[in-house]
Amino acid sequence: MKCEWVKENITLYVYNELADDARYELEQHLARCTDCTAELKSTRKFHAVLSELPVEEPSPNLVAASRMRLQEVLETTQQGGLWHRLVFDPAAWLRQVRFSPALAATLVIVGFASGIGTAYKILNGGGVGQLAMGTNPPLESSISGIRSVSQAPGSNQVTIKYDTVSTQEAQGTLNDQRIQQLLLFAARDNYNSGVRMDSVDLLTQQPNATPVREALIYALRYDSNPGVRLKALDGLAAYVKSDPRVRDALLEALMNDSNPGVRTETLHLLEPVRADSSVRAVLQRLAENDQNQYIKTQARTILAEMPEFD
Amino acid sequence: MAGQSLGRIDDTLLVREAQRGNRAAFEELVRHYDQAVLRLAIHLTGSEHEAQDVYQEAFLKAYKSVATFRFECSFYTWIYRIVTNLCLDHLRKKQVRKEDAPVATDSTGEQYDVLEQVPDARAGANPERDLMRRELGTRISAALEKLTPRERMVFELKHYHGLKLRTVGEVLNTTEETAKNTLFRATQKLRGALADMR
Repeated sequence: MKCEWVKENITLYVYNELADDARYELEQHLARCTDCTAELKSTRKFHAVLSELPVEEPSPNLVAASRMRLQEVLETTQQGGLWHRLVFDPAAWLRQVRFSPALAATLVIVGFASGIGTAYKILNGGGVGQLAMGTNPPLESSISGIRSVSQAPGSNQVTIKYDTVSTQEAQGTLNDQRIQQLLLFAARDNYNSGVRMDSVDLLTQQPNATPVREALIYALRYDSNPGVRLKALDGLAAYVKSDPRVRDALLEALMNDSNPGVRTETLHLLEPVRADSSVRAVLQRLAENDQNQYIKTQARTILAEMPEFD
Repeated sequence: MAGQSLGRIDDTLLVREAQRGNRAAFEELVRHYDQAVLRLAIHLTGSEHEAQDVYQEAFLKAYKSVATFRFECSFYTWIYRIVTNLCLDHLRKKQVRKEDAPVATDSTGEQYDVLEQVPDARAGANPERDLMRRELGTRISAALEKLTPRERMVFELKHYHGLKLRTVGEVLNTTEETAKNTLFRATQKLRGALADMR
């Protein structure tokens, strides 16, 4: 009876889908039952055979072509649904608000903040300046852009609308939400790679926070600076085993990154999960035809260290 | 759950923007998931061309109905649900047509093996090993084609795409328990079909 139960659950065990107690029970049984141990071996072997059918990564050309084709269609497509819902189903909206205290509270806070923001704008004249005769000209460095220039007909009166910026400073600990938000913003959008590097470096100190890990994955995928990508790798290293999305990002970097240093580092980080079918597939591809001799050799070495399945 | 919780906060902001009609936000969401969508569709349909059609239809559907998305599940689950439904339709049609998996018909009406058309870009490839790999791939593909569309989908999502069975259940609008049973059935069938390869 016990062996029958094991045979029914061995697939889930191999896929790491058994609950802890069942897993423990199964392992205890395996320790003393040679038949079931043989069954486990056979299941693992079969699992590996099936992984011989590789999951092909879509080529960059295919991804780009698909995106372009979609963009063309989206340009001429209207979104549906929202207007219909607003007009025809306001009761559903009200129900949603009534049954979602958090959403209701958020709406109140947003409304309150908007009120304060509006009052602030009225008192300060807002971020958009309007230069008229008699006012002091702004410092050139504080102008971020000119919105419009117009002359009143029949007069020499000129109206210029411009946006201003002023440098501000924020201080706080890494746990401070405002600081985290600024770091996340800087890691993604700053044109200065030094600032991005510093931000990513600081973010790696808290890579278990959801948006932080997301930002590190983003930096690894899209940052133009290899130093920033290496920093992001540092922060992601601990999650290669537990987080498939991190693993996917690393596999992408291993295959496509333009920098050999980043690829080499990625290869080493992926070693502990080399048995994963997608990692194996990538390693096989690299071992066969990678342009970089070192990576090719390393991939071969890692594959050679793995057990044979046939 | 693969990637589900990770991008949730980021996605939520983008989804809200997309719901306001911000196309750039929607396109950013597309970029978050489109490689995974293509990967799944290519593996399931066996054709880049058909995968592109699935991609196009899935994201277009998502764009048209993003305003009705109510955050009852993650955007990740939602988009996967759309894609898997399209792929299931594709698999069902394919089963009805009873086509042999790797055979297609060219413009002159002649049949050819699709797998033979896949270019081998590997430098210095070993022909004997290639042949074995190809044969192995063909046999596995044929065995996968014999599964029911639902068994195939559960197996694909679990084995080849590494999703947790809980997520597979959510994506396919069923329970984790049903997904487990389906995976078990699929595995048994595959072992039967590929018994001589073990």
